[in-house]
Amino acid sequence: MTQQAELKLLGPQYDWRALVEQHGSPLLVLDCDVLRRQYRLLAHALPQVDLYFAIKALPHEIVLATLYREGCNFDLATQGEIRLLENLLISPKKTIHTHPIKRDVDIKAALRYGCTTFVVDNVTELEKFVRYRERVGLLLRLSFPNPDALINLSKKFGLLIQDAPGFMDKAAGLGLHIKGLSFHVGSQCKNPGAHVRAIQACAELIHATRGSREIPMRMLDIGGGFPTSYDGSGVGIDAFCAPVREALAALPGNIHVIAEPGRFIAAPSMTCVASVIGKAKRGDRVWYYLDDGVYGSFSGLIFDHVNYPLFTLKEGPLHPCVLAGPTCDSIDIIREEAMLPELELGDLIISPMMGAYTSATSTEFNSLPRTHIIAINSDVNMEASFTMIA
Amino acid sequence: MINRYEETLYDAYTQVFSVEDVYYEHKTEHQHIIIFHNSKFGRVMALDGIIQTTERDEFIYHEMLTHVPIFSHGAVENVLIIGGGDGGMLREVTRHDAVTGVTMVEIDRSVIEMCRQYLPRHSNGAFDDPRLDLVISDGAEYVRKTDVKFDVIIVDSTDPIGPGESLFTKGFYNDCKRCLKDGGVVVTQNGVAFFQIHEVKNTAKCFGDLFRDWHFYTAAVPTYVGGDMAFGWGSDNPDLRQVPLKTLRQRFRSANIATRYYNPSIHKGSFALPQYLANEVGKVE
Repeated sequence: MTQQAELKLLGPQYDWRALVEQHGSPLLVLDCDVLRRQYRLLAHALPQVDLYFAIKALPHEIVLATLYREGCNFDLATQGEIRLLENLLISPKKTIHTHPIKRDVDIKAALRYGCTTFVVDNVTELEKFVRYRERVGLLLRLSFPNPDALINLSKKFGLLIQDAPGFMDKAAGLGLHIKGLSFHVGSQCKNPGAHVRAIQACAELIHATRGSREIPMRMLDIGGGFPTSYDGSGVGIDAFCAPVREALAALPGNIHVIAEPGRFIAAPSMTCVASVIGKAKRGDRVWYYLDDGVYGSFSGLIFDHVNYPLFTLKEGPLHPCVLAGPTCDSIDIIREEAMLPELELGDLIISPMMGAYTSATSTEFNSLPRTHIIAINSDVNMEASFTMIA
Repeated sequence: MINRYEETLYDAYTQVFSVEDVYYEHKTEHQHIIIFHNSKFGRVMALDGIIQTTERDEFIYHEMLTHVPIFSHGAVENVLIIGGGDGGMLREVTRHDAVTGVTMVEIDRSVIEMCRQYLPRHSNGAFDDPRLDLVISDGAEYVRKTDVKFDVIIVDSTDPIGPGESLFTKGFYNDCKRCLKDGGVVVTQNGVAFFQIHEVKNTAKCFGDLFRDWHFYTAAVPTYVGGDMAFGWGSDNPDLRQVPLKTLRQRFRSANIATRYYNPSIHKGSFALPQYLANEVGKVE
């Protein structure tokens, strides 16, 4: 099989040209079947864990509505994300607020929406909740530095576990209830070791605080970091989660365990379709200019440190080429050393695995509009309203 | 079709209603309103996940925020209601024949229209009372600007986290005081003290700075869960709180109003605060 043919098998197969003729180019094609499949895969791999989709990965109403119907909960971080949920009449009981740093107006907006679980990792943040102490439940975010993760999420946020007992005493002194712990070992973990070690440390702390503290903890948020494959190599999520399940079994029985997957659910669900809009021979290689780039859907190349697979619909001998985006900036290069068949204006470049942190972090630099998302295999009627339910 | 409604006020404790029927649901960028039927409480209105009023227990709240200040005063001519879009407060005020004018300031006309249609028993025709002057405006702005003065001001606010926030500020209370006639009184909805002591303390601090005489009185309203709801009391006339039971009885009799919660003994007794509340507001005997 040629490299091109292999790559084509990575993503869902559609009549890309017909989609572009109907909806224009560039285009992000969201496949709701894939969303549902990913959610079910993880839910099956972690049966004792309630999943809270990290909205930030792909904040799109059809994504949220589709997952809500699957029984998914939501991890929100901003007032904008609250508005998305409110517009879909998603019950606030199905949400937690996970941003460790919030303004008073942010806390108020979440409470008005009805979200009552918040995350703290420092005393300044803790003190913001004194006036809301009767209403809220707080999770203490711990930091477990993880050398294996692609993206280190334990640097900007999180309290070291040795400081947790002192922090909990401080909270108790302020009349605040730390109802549980949370952590994020990082994104795209290669192995479950970091999850397992963090769960074990949390279990130890939860056991140690039983009996010694007035208000025992009842919740553990094991964050995200569930790996998904960008190169077709395949990641067995069930095998990855087996040691996690085992570690969770050591928790006291009444601990409510939740997770915040974003990438695992979103990444495979969307495919970017871009068109060649310019072609120039510079030195020994051809530069193809596309109508989407790193300031647009390929923003994850910069912010998310991810390289997306890409293929064309053309067959033929492969030549080295450069794929560049549509803006005037010289950093706007999607791939420096691509090997593709000879392309002409209007030919399509297809990039699967572009659901997570792509559209979400795109910009309108050069006053170029963000790439349109179209949904296929959607079973949600966005016109039909459903009541905000418990 | 939904079959239960869960309040979202507290993280660790909540009340859940079975939903027999949904009469009305409206979601805007600013709020989510629902009116549904519950077999125990009749029609129930909730705003942003918090129960606002139910047909079965609203009389406790509305009678206590109207008859207590009006009978304490004894010669009320005009009353200002801030909020109260469901019309329950207006209904109770207009039962006093001696009251010659009621001004009601509601920020959202659609709330009134919705409640007249879906909670008609709350107003029970009171919106047609010729003594009513209905003003569609922000209550805080109204008391800041109006020249009219009132014998009684009733603040029927929503939760302080939300659109009712400005009705819990010292500036607003100060403007209310300015709108009182000599010897007038302002009463406020102050939440369930057991769970929302912060709000009671905040109002206590403001009233302490503004009024010669201030206090709280209480009543338990079943769907405002958590025990006693606190009502704020602020006046420059300390005598209003010391009216003898005998006088209250005379006034109550001559008003000839049939009540279901209020009576002069409840009136007197409602100012007795439990120690936890008295401690927090500095009213320990």
